[in-house]
Amino acid sequence: MNGVNIFPNIWRFIGLTTVQVVILSKVALASNGYCNILVYPLFILFLPVQLATPAAVFLGFLIGITVDLLTGTPGVNASAGALSGYIRAILLHRYAPRGGYTAKEPIPAPAYFGWRWFIIVTAIFFGAHIFWYFSMAYFTPVYLLKQILPQSALAWVLTMIIVLLYTRLFHPKI
Amino acid sequence: MHSIIQLFIRHGGLLTLVVLEMVCFYLISTYNDPQRQISSASWTKYSGQFLQWKTEWLDYLGLKEQNERLRDQVAELGTQLTNARLAAVPRRDTFVFQATVDTLNRKFTRPEFILIPAQVISNTISGSNNWLMINRGKRDGVQPNTGVITADGLAGIVRYVSDDFAMVMSVLHRQTKISAALKKYEYFGSLVWEGNKPQMMTLTDIPSHLKVKKGDTVQVSRYSLMFPPGHVAGTVDSAYLQPGSNFLSILVKLSQHPAAFNHVYVVNNKFSGQIDSLQQLVKDERR
Repeated sequence: MNGVNIFPNIWRFIGLTTVQVVILSKVALASNGYCNILVYPLFILFLPVQLATPAAVFLGFLIGITVDLLTGTPGVNASAGALSGYIRAILLHRYAPRGGYTAKEPIPAPAYFGWRWFIIVTAIFFGAHIFWYFSMAYFTPVYLLKQILPQSALAWVLTMIIVLLYTRLFHPKI
Repeated sequence: MHSIIQLFIRHGGLLTLVVLEMVCFYLISTYNDPQRQISSASWTKYSGQFLQWKTEWLDYLGLKEQNERLRDQVAELGTQLTNARLAAVPRRDTFVFQATVDTLNRKFTRPEFILIPAQVISNTISGSNNWLMINRGKRDGVQPNTGVITADGLAGIVRYVSDDFAMVMSVLHRQTKISAALKKYEYFGSLVWEGNKPQMMTLTDIPSHLKVKKGDTVQVSRYSLMFPPGHVAGTVDSAYLQPGSNFLSILVKLSQHPAAFNHVYVVNNKFSGQIDSLQQLVKDERR
């Protein structure tokens, strides 16, 4: 990871976890689970492009378990986070630019790959994460059609709005 | 070691994911109440299913043994039943009328028949004199001139016995002659095979005034020494008057098809020795 600055990642870890735990999990509780926004996976997405897949999976697990321990749902977010770390590696491989990644693109941000690319990758990334999160939260396929899929769809739309706003506002480059 | 490192380099992400997901599943199903209930319910359900399969499979494997045990039981119950039929006729003296229907109370009843379960190991039906062989012999208590039945009908008569096997003269044999009767009349005749179809025997010597219908039951007569009286033999197929006599010949459709002999029972009459010697006395006197 030569030339990669790890501090922005640390700040994102702390900041996104705080926002998730202090604000968004309360909102989710207050709205009875219908306004469920998951922003902490952005930390996983904005990890350095060159980072090895096992490390990404582990860091996804780490932020997930942190959120879990602070909200009292051990394993639910961690499971989704670890999966997201792996999904991210697959997406980066699948949507790699021609000629592959270079050192000039430290993180998968729209600043380097364009908004179109970013929206496609984010949509799939968060779709997988949120679906897996709700599957783990309900933990049985019995609720698949009535609860898991509708709630995932709603959470996905809300989360995508917040994520795109965040990215547009902060325009992360490192 | 080298190959393990290679494996990790190639699939490290997936391995990490699998390990961490297992940790997560453990955490989820241990520390979250709703998920724990769901997982323990599922565990109970599927382990119950698994145990069910296991039991069914073991049951299937035990079928042969089960089958043999059931046959032994059938033999024992058959013994009791045939003896019960005899015991149902009360023994009486001048003043005391004793109904001795308790077949287990051997003080009052005389067990006459003992059934020995056996299996047919060879059988013919196409000749004019047919034989079958069973896997029981002298050592199992089989004696010559004893009847052989199946649960549903008649099989034949034991003629030759070795230590462990016996040759049985099939019901489809010209010399086979079984004392049989129509169930609804007291009259009895001889059940013989005249060499026609394998499932058809002929009941002779039934008086012509009797009204015989197709489907009437034919059973072993109460005078039979080799076969348990009352044991079903077959049903009436058709009847015709024997030319120049007053007796009917009745074609009897056997309830046990001779081609399907498998499990059979050798019928040992405990008193056949005494009865034979008594009959021998009469024969000797006539000479």
